[in-house]
Amino acid sequence: MSKDPHDIIIRPWITEKSMAMKEQRKYTFVVHPDANKTEIKNAVEAIFGVKVEKVNTMNVRGKKKRVGIHEGKRPDWKKAIVTLKKDSKPIEFFESL
Amino acid sequence: MKVNVEKIENNVATLKIEVEAGEFEKAIEQSYRKNVKRFNIPGFRRGKAPRSLIERYYGPEVFYEDAAEIVLSEAYKKVVEENSLEPVDHPHFDIDKIGKDIGIVATAKVTVKPEVKLGQYKGLEVEKMVYNVTEEDVEKELKDLQEKNARLVSVERPAQKGDVVVVDLEGFANGEPLKDAKVQNYPLELGSKILVEDLEEKIIGMKPGETKEVAVTYPAEHPNKDLAGKEVLFKVSLKEVKEKELPQLDDEFAKDVSEFETLEELKQDIKNRLEERAKSLSESSLRGAILKKVVEQAEVDIPQVMVDREIERLIMDFAFQLRLRGLDLKQYLEISKLSPEEFKGRFQERAYNNVKTSLVLEALAKAENIEVTEEEVDEELAKYAEAAHKSLAEYKKNLKEEDLEHIKDHILTRKIFDFLISQAKVNEKVVENFSQGEGEGEEEQA
Repeated sequence: MSKDPHDIIIRPWITEKSMAMKEQRKYTFVVHPDANKTEIKNAVEAIFGVKVEKVNTMNVRGKKKRVGIHEGKRPDWKKAIVTLKKDSKPIEFFESL
Repeated sequence: MKVNVEKIENNVATLKIEVEAGEFEKAIEQSYRKNVKRFNIPGFRRGKAPRSLIERYYGPEVFYEDAAEIVLSEAYKKVVEENSLEPVDHPHFDIDKIGKDIGIVATAKVTVKPEVKLGQYKGLEVEKMVYNVTEEDVEKELKDLQEKNARLVSVERPAQKGDVVVVDLEGFANGEPLKDAKVQNYPLELGSKILVEDLEEKIIGMKPGETKEVAVTYPAEHPNKDLAGKEVLFKVSLKEVKEKELPQLDDEFAKDVSEFETLEELKQDIKNRLEERAKSLSESSLRGAILKKVVEQAEVDIPQVMVDREIERLIMDFAFQLRLRGLDLKQYLEISKLSPEEFKGRFQERAYNNVKTSLVLEALAKAENIEVTEEEVDEELAKYAEAAHKSLAEYKKNLKEEDLEHIKDHILTRKIFDFLISQAKVNEKVVENFSQGEGEGEEEQA
């Protein structure tokens, strides 16, 4: 494993829903499509210095969009919902939002 | 929150307002709640975005303007109350410093009510016009009444001045029939000057059934520009001559036109009414005269905003009057060929006087501690209620706050005048013949 943790965790996924899930110690990220749960767990722990209980992932298929007759597709991506352990500190970055 | 009145100069008060960070923060929160719905942030429904995110998206200043307005207007209200300032205009804020951590430092400038330096208002010498109602006045009034009740009787004789004739008219200019100049069975009172005088003149002497062509020269100053100064040929056919028959002045007449039984009673009533009118006229002219003197003697430095406001109010009034006559202000300006500035300028003096008068009256009330009590208002209201056939409580219920305020004002003004008159030296000037004096004092009414 020589991947940089910042290559795995691409950016936080900030929506109304994800903000609401902070209450349950669940934090949502856009991650590298090839990353697995273990890699994500290690990356989050390394970047934010928190303890991760579990990681749920899902592949999100990009929406089909068309401009006139030209049809295109938004890229597929992977979403990861990271649940922190009860005794872990919260992710500071999210708290500042 | 710290607010100080720094100085008052030329009726402009300068206020220094300082708001601490904590208080400002509260205002920002308030403004956030008010405005969330306006911000659109991807991932959030409108109105659901957290404040911190909006601030990151749009910069922390987005709420400043609104929040500043909230705190400043609050501070402003406070300082106005504490220092019992009387602003006549909206305040003008200048923000010197603003920030989340430092709060706000701002200066506010507002025009306040000017102080009135009252001149002499006790022992003023004023003339009071007293109008005597004479026998002649009564006769004149009676004659008017007679005239109004005259009957028209057809007669077979040439038309005379004062007769009402029924005519068909058709006008021609240069051989062409004129537009709008053809009428049939038109009742025309000779001598009323409704039509061109020349034409009326020429109808006099015509017999019923007679048809005549008359050439009439329109006077040069005739309102119809197309016809002014021109010669117009009128085909006139006289159909009927009616004479005005005045009713006999007797008890019968009195019964017909009034609820009185005899002519004597009617005369007495006319006299009473005239006397009443004369009295109120002399009263209002006295008030006008006193007011003019008091206002003249007082010194006030009136801020232009107050005058401007009054001008606006006067113009609104004027526009309203115009609309009753089916015109709007724009049309009026076009017709009278006035530029908006000229038009405004016309009101300047009147507005100035109005403002000054009301300021002086206010100052007078203050100086002499003239106030209106609840009982006095009730008393006045009872009068109105009686006129409207309602009980006092019922009448009161239907009144709006501003109506009450208005009535109060009315009473106050009356009391001030009573006071002024009681203090003044009134010289009576007797004017014989009421009807001749009429109309003189009216424009002075406050």
